Amino acid sequence: MAQNVLAVELAGIWKRFPGVIANSDINLKVTAGTVHAIVGENGAGKSTLMKILYGMQKADEGTISINGSELIFSSPSDAIDAGIGMVHQHFMLADNFTVLENIVLGSEPKSGGKLDFAKARQQISDIAAENGLAVDPDILVSELGVGDRQRIEILKVLYRGAKILILDEPTAVLVPHEVDELFNTLRDLKKEGLTVIFISHKLDEVLSIADEITVIRQGTTVGSVNPHTQQVSARDLAEMMVGNELPTPQSVGDTIRDEVVLKVENLSVFAKGGKAIVDDISFQIRAGEILGIAGVEGNGQAEILDALMGIEAATGTVHFKTEDISKKSTRHRRELGIGFIPEDRQRQALLMEAPLWENRMLGHQTREPNSKGFLLNPRGAKADTKRIVKEYDVRTPSIDVLASALSGGNQQKLIVGREMSGDPKLLIAAHPTRGVDVGAQAAIWDHIRNARQAGLAVLLVSADLDELIGLSDTLKVLLRGKFVADADPATVTPQELGTAMTGAGKAA
Amino acid sequence: MTYLKSRRFIGAAFTAITILSITRTITGNGDLTSTVTIAQALVFASPIALAGLAGIWAERAGVINIGLEGMMILGTFGAGWAGWQWGVWAGVLAGVAFGAIGGLLLAVAAVTFGVDQIIAGTAINLLALGLTKFLAILLFTDAPGGGQAQSPPIKGDIPTFTLESIVEPLTALHEKGIFFVSDLAGLVAGLFYHLSLLTIITFLLFVMTSYLLWKTAFGLRLRSAGENPWAADSLGVKVVQYKYAAVVFSGMLAGLGGAYLSIASTIYRNGNTAGRGFIGLATMIFGDWRPGGTAAGAIMFGYIDTLRLIDTGNQNVKGLILLGAIILFAIGGIMLRKAKRNSAIGFLVLGSVMIGAYFSATSFPPEVAQVAPYITTLLVLATASQNLRPPAADGVPYRKGDHH
Repeated sequence: MAQNVLAVELAGIWKRFPGVIANSDINLKVTAGTVHAIVGENGAGKSTLMKILYGMQKADEGTISINGSELIFSSPSDAIDAGIGMVHQHFMLADNFTVLENIVLGSEPKSGGKLDFAKARQQISDIAAENGLAVDPDILVSELGVGDRQRIEILKVLYRGAKILILDEPTAVLVPHEVDELFNTLRDLKKEGLTVIFISHKLDEVLSIADEITVIRQGTTVGSVNPHTQQVSARDLAEMMVGNELPTPQSVGDTIRDEVVLKVENLSVFAKGGKAIVDDISFQIRAGEILGIAGVEGNGQAEILDALMGIEAATGTVHFKTEDISKKSTRHRRELGIGFIPEDRQRQALLMEAPLWENRMLGHQTREPNSKGFLLNPRGAKADTKRIVKEYDVRTPSIDVLASALSGGNQQKLIVGREMSGDPKLLIAAHPTRGVDVGAQAAIWDHIRNARQAGLAVLLVSADLDELIGLSDTLKVLLRGKFVADADPATVTPQELGTAMTGAGKAA
Repeated sequence: MTYLKSRRFIGAAFTAITILSITRTITGNGDLTSTVTIAQALVFASPIALAGLAGIWAERAGVINIGLEGMMILGTFGAGWAGWQWGVWAGVLAGVAFGAIGGLLLAVAAVTFGVDQIIAGTAINLLALGLTKFLAILLFTDAPGGGQAQSPPIKGDIPTFTLESIVEPLTALHEKGIFFVSDLAGLVAGLFYHLSLLTIITFLLFVMTSYLLWKTAFGLRLRSAGENPWAADSLGVKVVQYKYAAVVFSGMLAGLGGAYLSIASTIYRNGNTAGRGFIGLATMIFGDWRPGGTAAGAIMFGYIDTLRLIDTGNQNVKGLILLGAIILFAIGGIMLRKAKRNSAIGFLVLGSVMIGAYFSATSFPPEVAQVAPYITTLLVLATASQNLRPPAADGVPYRKGDHH
């Protein structure tokens, strides 16, 4: 490994947006042939910084040096030419294109005027073989899962001859064994002499993969540590990120009461072709109980939640307390006191082009404080939005900005705040802390636990196994639309749970 | 073309000829598959096909082109105006150029300014309609042979070709009335009878589009602008330029379609397009945003138009109604096999109603004739559109650096 050669050096980077300073005086040195992690809270300015490094945005001040020479990037092509590649957090893939088409787009091999598909196929399988990234180049991307998509993103970057890879929160969408695979790939890439910049807020992962860690807080670099030579714990890093000492989230005692809040019997959801996506499942949740569902995404979780909310057609019966709500409308269910945090916040939970206070009304438009009789009550909604912004620490300049102006984690905090309003009896939550940083995550957990104390029943779906184990009173493993195992959250480990999720074995 | 694709194509063609043949045999109406009918159907189909192809270019790059009708109108006007003064080929060029202006207008509004694409397209339709009416009064009223609503005749003709050695024996074979064989003969002969050079150009444009958009790097980049422009941008594809190129070329194709219409009727006339731009859009959707399917849809519309217009003694309309009934039964049968009972019953009942109408009535009012084929088309579209795959970012305004 070549020591002390700087692959990337950023000096004095400033970036201002109207009303916000995203980056202030950022200094970063990345040694060639290492995995360098950048950690920070949501909205700390990590993503902006990487966009600057990748030429998607221009810094107001400061310099970028690649392999010792100072460069100016005015578009991603400049960055690509300098050997930088970016794997985006939200995959940048065209679903209707094949894997091959997605990889070669923009730098296609040609023979005559024609795109040389044979050569492209050869090049891709060569690169794939070298780095242990198996893919079928002729399959449509729409047919692939997240793990495969991420491999394609990495291949895209390698195909362009990148020597410096930026990965923006690459593990956020992966299950544990996929994370292990990714890390093996990254170690291989490092052996090949590539430099990896790894953005994350999952500190355990960062500690296991990074050679050097730089912490960003409120738009500026606050320090770097080397986990090989210095003793650092996830907790130390978290405190550097947040700037003060963290509360310790501990599970509280048994709060489960006798009253059954949700009783589901023989619930099934069918796909267009008649295949059962959710296959005849039954369960119940009592007041003060959190039931966690573990499973690899796409095994029917989204359909269960949508069916319970009356969004998706389903067979079977659903009782809320004593009332049969199987045939009731979504609005009726919400008015009974069912809160819903959906999987895809931009598609199901928010109007991106509406201000925060209008988003506060969504799904609660018939109830206090959002309406008075027949009319909406904007004043009440605005006041309550301010409360949510304060209680849930939503980082926003005002409640009048559009939802699209917030970072993903802050959007999530707003949604959680909204769904916990109005004293819900049942919360149906998918990935309640997805994309949210450690500090805010602990706060959301506390809110949920406090409500549970007061008798809230929760159905929890999460890809974060620590969260599932830490919060749930009861755990069920979902595989291909069926519950295949129960697990005791007091004893099960994330590894055991991950294994059970793939159907490889039974959980403890 | 893979083995599977060519097999599917042959299968579809075989089914279509069989259905036509059955209809022809029952009605005893030789016109349904005659050389002249098919030749005329190609003339009617070509402008629609060009409009559909224009739609493919724009929408594959992510810009919905509702303005096709307006761009066609501009093309009809350009062809009439230049064709009257400088000859038919000048008319073709002017039609293409006028269409290109329409395309450029849409590109500026939709791509540069991010105006809602439906609204921008509708505005172009209204603008083209009003502008051409106004210019017609201004330029054609006092011209010899012209009028307030039409241009003087276009000078000269587009060359047409007839391959006598193929047409004559096949037409003779068609007149023998043998099941399937004669119908096939009539269909093939029609392809080589008074075949216009413009029709040949249209065909070549389809071949060129298939090649350019699906086999070259240029095409991949252009389509990436319609599938995920943000991804394309992140890979250094100049999305805006591709969108501009696609939309302007779309306008040129629509303009050519308009020119074809004017030249086929030898003059520019107000309202000559009669909604063919929209029908072109429908054939594009029917064809799943691909050239082959779009061409098939356009030929279907051209064929129906032909039968309606060359109708003698109301026989063709009857034939069409029977044809519709048979198609409905065929779809109903497929639905039954796929165990979609409710849709199947719907199709079978409608088919029975049409069969009943065919056998009980001796003649139909022309209004029925006009509507019946479109109802059938609509139903076919409704079933076909279950599995369509439009470009993922079609109609989504794109701004550099936005999103994610």
